[in-house]
Amino acid sequence: MRVAYYKGCLASLSAKELDVATKALAPKLGLELDELESVTCCGAGDIHEAEPDYYLHLNARILAYAERTGADTLMTICNVCTLNLRQADLELKHDEALRERVNANLAEVGVPRYTGGVDVKHFLWLVAEGEGYERLKECAHKGLKGLRIAPFYGCQILRPSKLLGFEDPDRPWSLEAIIEACGGEAVDYPAKVKCCGFPIIQAREEVALGELIQPIEQALDAGADAMVTPCPLCHLSLDAWQQKLEAQTGRSFRLPIFHLSQLIGVAAGLEESELRFKRHVVSMQPVLEKLESV
Amino acid sequence: VQVALKIWRFDPESGERALKRYEVEAPEWACLLDVLDIVKDEVDGTLAFRKSCRMMICGSCGMRMDGRAILACKEPMKPIVDAGHEPVISAMGNMPVLKDLVVDMSPFWSKIRAMKPWVDTGYEELPEKESIVSQERMNPIHKEALCIMCGCCVSECNSMESDPEFFGPAALAKGFRFVGDPRDRATIERLEAYNVEHGIWDCTRCYFCNERCPKGVDPRDAIAKLGAESVRHGIDRDMGAKHAKWFVHSAKTTGWLRETELVPKTQGVISAVKEAKFALSLAKRGKVPPPFPPHVARDVGEARRLYELVKQQGRDGAAGIVQGEKALSRLEHGNENED
Repeated sequence: MRVAYYKGCLASLSAKELDVATKALAPKLGLELDELESVTCCGAGDIHEAEPDYYLHLNARILAYAERTGADTLMTICNVCTLNLRQADLELKHDEALRERVNANLAEVGVPRYTGGVDVKHFLWLVAEGEGYERLKECAHKGLKGLRIAPFYGCQILRPSKLLGFEDPDRPWSLEAIIEACGGEAVDYPAKVKCCGFPIIQAREEVALGELIQPIEQALDAGADAMVTPCPLCHLSLDAWQQKLEAQTGRSFRLPIFHLSQLIGVAAGLEESELRFKRHVVSMQPVLEKLESV
Repeated sequence: VQVALKIWRFDPESGERALKRYEVEAPEWACLLDVLDIVKDEVDGTLAFRKSCRMMICGSCGMRMDGRAILACKEPMKPIVDAGHEPVISAMGNMPVLKDLVVDMSPFWSKIRAMKPWVDTGYEELPEKESIVSQERMNPIHKEALCIMCGCCVSECNSMESDPEFFGPAALAKGFRFVGDPRDRATIERLEAYNVEHGIWDCTRCYFCNERCPKGVDPRDAIAKLGAESVRHGIDRDMGAKHAKWFVHSAKTTGWLRETELVPKTQGVISAVKEAKFALSLAKRGKVPPPFPPHVARDVGEARRLYELVKQQGRDGAAGIVQGEKALSRLEHGNENED
């Protein structure tokens, strides 16, 4: 399956390992990635909040370039990109006057026309069912045997379900299905669908840390060896800010955090050069050693 | 039908909390509120819950079913019974439980009151003629005006769990209902009052409020509208606003987020220096991409010119937030071809 691939900001910058792992893994899952080059940041929740009309145009532009690849799916690897693009797409699809105004503006600066021709789908959704899931079972079979993995969904891949709608936002199953297809054991805990605090981690660090501690603490209490998340923003907060929780509470958590592509990559036998665990703040060694020893 | 459910009971006198199972005979059309009435009438008269209108207008019967905040009068029981499920009913979150399913909503009301939930017309004496506002000018606050103050959004607010003083989704949606009202003359005062420590920039964008609201108010969208109005009026001293504006600046200069500069641009240079040790721990892992040379997106000139065009068209502030509102109401009602 050929898909247009939008990696977003973090996978181009501080979470490069996510982009590298996704590109290395894609062929094994039958995904041919057509990477978008002439695109910008989706604006996160920030441009949407500061300059909403600009947010809409930036996302329309990304969607228009995705259409030009001829693929019918635009694959994302970030929760926030997924929500932003799907939100803009739905609004443009259903409001003709708005679509005409945006298209006139796109034409003025030389961007192809938006016609609503691509479906925005997160990588997680492409792997959790259908052909992707069948390929996953073949390539990653039993690769995580002996590991207890805590799935962490994050917010903007589940809510608002009116805009996302892949699965029940209160009883999601996709990450668990993937962990189990790879032979691991999915650990259950209440905060797996809650917020990691990342959007306000700079403006309101204390409030954000009060949110971040919940999944970390609960996953460890439930006996997780590691956690996996489909969102690079959640990853940054769970991985890089974990040390701040440790300083704040005086406790040692050291919970290794996988990007989804890395977790499947390990199960599918990718090399360190394709996974780049060295770029994580919390060491991945304990969980990788446990996997070796099983 | 035979309905079975479990209810988290709380007795304030003994402090005892217990999950109790009830099984009653109820009509096929019964909603959760009807079933609670039957339990109270026939099984245990001490069961406490709030109710009034029974038709999703009064907002009294907010509670949780299987951990989700709902209105008891909006949940039909037959599909649950048919699925062989026994739901667990409990009190709403983020508010202290007084008894069984009744929570103390006084913090909720004081936050609503702090929003000055009335139109400030700016005149003291009534004018001779009534002032008429067109439907069109009221449409921008249509969703926020639907709020019945049931507390379902507040129950699940992730930021409020961490900061109980956060104004929260219900109060802020109420705030936008007046900021966006064309008759109100207190816009700046209101926005100033929301741009404070526990105000709009506390929202962590978890979207639980939009997910739970039984009336389609979408409080998170209302908070985004307040942010957009604040930026439009130049009320942007909060770190949250600075953070948001840096994304705009990044998009129109390099296209991609200028991640490393985000910290000093949000928190100021002094705070960024204080964070040097933390930053260094991230830098060692390649998580602090060097700002020079900048990572520039191909054809970023297009994004720059789009910004100029958009600014000329003047849909600044909340007017630019379309957010699927029309689209979604059409989808929900299945009348895509209308209007």
